Amino acid sequence: MSDMGMGGCPGSRMQDFREDTKGGKEEGGTRQSQLRQWPIQLHLVSPEAPYYQKADVLLAADCVAYSVGDFHKDYLKGKSIAIACPKLDEGQDIYVEKIASFIDDAKINTLTVMTMQVPCCAGLVSIAQQALQSAKRKIPVKSIVVNLQGGILSEEWVS
Amino acid sequence: MEKYLNAPIKDIITKFPEVGRILEDYNIGCVPCTLGSCLLKDIVAIHNLPADQEAQLMYRIEKAIYPDRDIKKPEGKAMARKAPVGKIQYSPPIKKLVDEHALIKRWLELIPEVLEKIDIESKACRQLILDGLDFIRSYADKFHHAKEEDILFGYTDKNLDIIKTILQDHETARSHVKAILEALKSKDRKSIIEHLGAYGDLLAEHIKKEDEILYPWIDRGLSTRQVGELFAKFNEAEESMDKGVVDRCEKFALEAGERVQKMERKKEEVK
Repeated sequence: MSDMGMGGCPGSRMQDFREDTKGGKEEGGTRQSQLRQWPIQLHLVSPEAPYYQKADVLLAADCVAYSVGDFHKDYLKGKSIAIACPKLDEGQDIYVEKIASFIDDAKINTLTVMTMQVPCCAGLVSIAQQALQSAKRKIPVKSIVVNLQGGILSEEWVS
Repeated sequence: MEKYLNAPIKDIITKFPEVGRILEDYNIGCVPCTLGSCLLKDIVAIHNLPADQEAQLMYRIEKAIYPDRDIKKPEGKAMARKAPVGKIQYSPPIKKLVDEHALIKRWLELIPEVLEKIDIESKACRQLILDGLDFIRSYADKFHHAKEEDILFGYTDKNLDIIKTILQDHETARSHVKAILEALKSKDRKSIIEHLGAYGDLLAEHIKKEDEILYPWIDRGLSTRQVGELFAKFNEAEESMDKGVVDRCEKFALEAGERVQKMERKKEEVK
């Protein structure tokens, strides 16, 4: 990994991983997508959609799916999804209300929040926790933090 | 070695006491277990030791059983003895059970003091023990053990020896409670001391076994879906329980220490 020495915010600092991805094993064949819904952006999804009812929901920061090589197989499979960017998206109050509606109205079973290691991404976990606090129901919430090259830094139940 | 991997641990420790000492080096507390029916292979699997420590453990056990056998010593440095157990991360439903244990332990920790100062003729002392029994029956058994027996163990194989051991502990605890109640009626001090003491020791060991071994093992096997289901089922069970009873039990556990102190002060005043 090469840091291009730009300094500043770790979320937007330029880094070059090209050397690290060389020499990987070539994979043949195709892999089936595990996505089972559309839309997926948190502003666009509706908690009333049938695939959210009593589901295990994955709330992923936008960058996560590009970073984790086996995202579909290891994290998306069997779950309904919503994606958001806590740094760039507007209307995050609506995100809190919508996640609370997932919990109370769609009666989701669990919520897994998957974020990148950059500090601004922790905002998504905070949004989820605010939603949980404002919801009437309580559900288990898991946080998974991913490093910039797709490795899992931590995986823990946060409430 | 296959023969011993499939043998109950008590039989192995009885025949080769060194095996018990080796297990203790790895914080595996089979020696004081009342049943000892778990198979060696299950015990090793359930404790989820790091691969190098497990290899060292198995090497030492095999050497203890077959001292003359030429066994290849695992590579890597020998494990640090009595390695401290790190903070265990529980899933939310399992954490509920661990928190309930914390409340139960508040009463268990007071039992030796109560037994030491027991005055069977004192109404306050008899009432404290009666309230303690109410706490045990309503909270520890009806509220907590029922969640384990009716819900949690449904996510495991109930035929596993570790589950049978836990269920047997619950039954033994119930028989002690019955005996204490009878002893209270007949003011049989000796019997109260015997059964309440035995109950305290049994439950303290039982809780340690669950917090450190059983729960982490069950947690490792639960999918995200199952964690959510379990959490919802525990919530339902809690809601179906009379809130007044739970509040009464929690109040007892929080105030029992003060009641013991008060009893002692009164005794001193009389002297």
